[in-house]
Amino acid sequence: MNILELKGLKKYFATQKAVDDISLSVERGQIFGLLGPNGAGKTTLIRMITGIFYPDEGQIIFDGKKFDPVNDVEHIGYMPEERGLYKKMKIGEQTMYLAQLKGLSRNDAMTRIKQWFVRFEMESWWNKKVEDLSKGMSQKLQFVTTVLHEPKLIILDEPFSGLDPVNSNLIKDEIFKLAKNGATVIFSTHRMEQVEEICDHIALVNKGAKILDGTVKQVKQDYKENLFSIGAEQLPSMNGTAPFEVVGTKRDEHIVRIKEGSKPNDVLQYLLGHDVPVISFHEILPSLNDIFIKLVEGTPAARQFQKIDA
Amino acid sequence: MRKIKLIIKREYLTRVRKKTFIISTLLFPLLYLVLIFGMGYIAKESALHLKVAVIDSSGYFSAEKISQLNLEDKSSTLTLVTTSEQKLETSYKESGFDGYIVIPAVDWRTGAGNLVFKSGKSYGNTYTEIVKNKLNRIWDKVKNDSLQIDSDKQRILADSHLSLVSKNINDERSDAKTAEGIGYACGLLIYLILLIYGSQVMMGVMEEKTNRIAEVIISSVKPFQMMLGKILGIGLVALTQFFLWIAFMLIVYNIGVASGAGGIANQMVGSMQNMFTNVNMPLILFCFGFYFLAGFFFYASLYGAIGSAVNEDMREAQSLSFPITMLVIISVALMTAAIGNPTGPIAVWASIIPFSSPIVMMARIPFGVPGTVPWWQLGLSMALLILGFIFTVWFAGKIYRTGILMYGKKPSWKEMLRWAFRKN
Repeated sequence: MNILELKGLKKYFATQKAVDDISLSVERGQIFGLLGPNGAGKTTLIRMITGIFYPDEGQIIFDGKKFDPVNDVEHIGYMPEERGLYKKMKIGEQTMYLAQLKGLSRNDAMTRIKQWFVRFEMESWWNKKVEDLSKGMSQKLQFVTTVLHEPKLIILDEPFSGLDPVNSNLIKDEIFKLAKNGATVIFSTHRMEQVEEICDHIALVNKGAKILDGTVKQVKQDYKENLFSIGAEQLPSMNGTAPFEVVGTKRDEHIVRIKEGSKPNDVLQYLLGHDVPVISFHEILPSLNDIFIKLVEGTPAARQFQKIDA
Repeated sequence: MRKIKLIIKREYLTRVRKKTFIISTLLFPLLYLVLIFGMGYIAKESALHLKVAVIDSSGYFSAEKISQLNLEDKSSTLTLVTTSEQKLETSYKESGFDGYIVIPAVDWRTGAGNLVFKSGKSYGNTYTEIVKNKLNRIWDKVKNDSLQIDSDKQRILADSHLSLVSKNINDERSDAKTAEGIGYACGLLIYLILLIYGSQVMMGVMEEKTNRIAEVIISSVKPFQMMLGKILGIGLVALTQFFLWIAFMLIVYNIGVASGAGGIANQMVGSMQNMFTNVNMPLILFCFGFYFLAGFFFYASLYGAIGSAVNEDMREAQSLSFPITMLVIISVALMTAAIGNPTGPIAVWASIIPFSSPIVMMARIPFGVPGTVPWWQLGLSMALLILGFIFTVWFAGKIYRTGILMYGKKPSWKEMLRWAFRKN
């Protein structure tokens, strides 16, 4: 079942169609990547899902029911891109406060905070203030405050920015663990290598509209360019009958594009027919990065203000 | 509700536990006492003793009279000299005088008009007044002697007066002087609280916005709850501080009563006793509580809205909050007028219109309810103030909701009004 369904969401601001008719569904337990260039409308979309903004039009279905911001926010954990904590407040108190605001009782909050603090080796921080923490440390704290109330839906906006590889991995493992325990994670980022590594499903947003939606595997299939890599010392000289054309050669690796109507096996047959010793043969799928750039290319780097007549 | 309570608790505890709160709560009454005692002390210590040379052409000021008067009144020293004015002008300093007065040849029946105290320095009114009074004592004596008025008649002339105070016949207990004092005190206290704690609300909102915690919080609670929690929490801090001060005052009062201390402490005790017997203290306290809270809501929500609209720049906040601060200051000006004439039209209207009513009404109430302030005025003023703060809280909530997530350019008042009246 889907934990979250968006139907025709719209949010217009005075000078921008920030979100213009986006529909999405996120399955329970999925790690969902919400991608898009700067200013694409991701934050506005997330703010509608977290109940911060009301959509101008459209519907949000959360956990099978119409989204009710007042009560449902207790099942959502949101870590905004711009992190924030009270600088002068003690860390233990602050975590307790944020947990109670999410509806936890004092006792529940206390046990969970202790568990997380032990897991992240933060026990000694209790009486320190946030201003004493480094950027990476406060990032960890922010993550803990986001997931402490065991939300069904966790929304993380660039969760790894500012973290060193060790702490990145720590958080990554926690994200996997949370998803395995049934939480759904929406993960917004520009870092495509992380998306390929972590996400099951992605949606790409640009200029307020969804331009791509699917599993990582499917998307790669959809955007493949029929490129294959052939490992061989030398390819036979080409004539018009070859089912492929060579795109590039790097020492004994040749990148070829299969002509339309031909299959990979045709390539192998052709090579075998020419008695070429093939060392390797594999498909080259586009990276998400390539797909991202290809789709978003041509969009001005900064979104322009526009006049809205509505 | 639970969430608002949590927010109130946090806002309250973080502020009350701060060192600055404890220090300011203790220091304010201390400073106040130091000010009162210190002023008296300084005034006494720095009093100037003028030495004045007098050239008398009228013949009334004999050396004998002057030296006798110098014995009776030591606030200045007069010395009769017989040199010419030109000589004195160059030599008064060497002779040890601060200045000199030339009394022309006048008749005791007409008096001397304006005499001039000539000196190389400027002296304030306080000092010339002392010398003037001293000269007049001699002059009175001259007149009395010439008119053959003996000491019995003199006493009659000096003591027999008609005096006039105003008394409101509708209000048996009102005593204009005490009322004036209490009125000023209440009005100014509310003024201070509005400005100090109003700007605390503004700073608190700005802090949340610049720390970027606002977005985290409003993913848990509604912006309106967040704003309301802050206003209520800070309002409680103000109340706490206020109650501590009252407690402090009562302690001083009781110590004063117990020890029968003299001087200023005694005066304070006396005036407080006066207060308790002459005015309707329970009503004043109740009204003070009401106008304090309602006025605080009225202004704090506006300050909160401004805090949400600006970025970390203090100057932006100041320029945007200037109109609000102006309203508070205008209220104080109106209060002064209202105390001068507590039943005049300015007083009546300013104490009914919401923006100025917390300060002005509080200054009028000590003059007496329902004598000076009829019940309908008090009721109307309270009702309008409640409507007023409901409106400003609603209005501020609208601005807050948009402003708290808005970064970048400082909005103008016009834009903020658009935020407020935009649907949803």
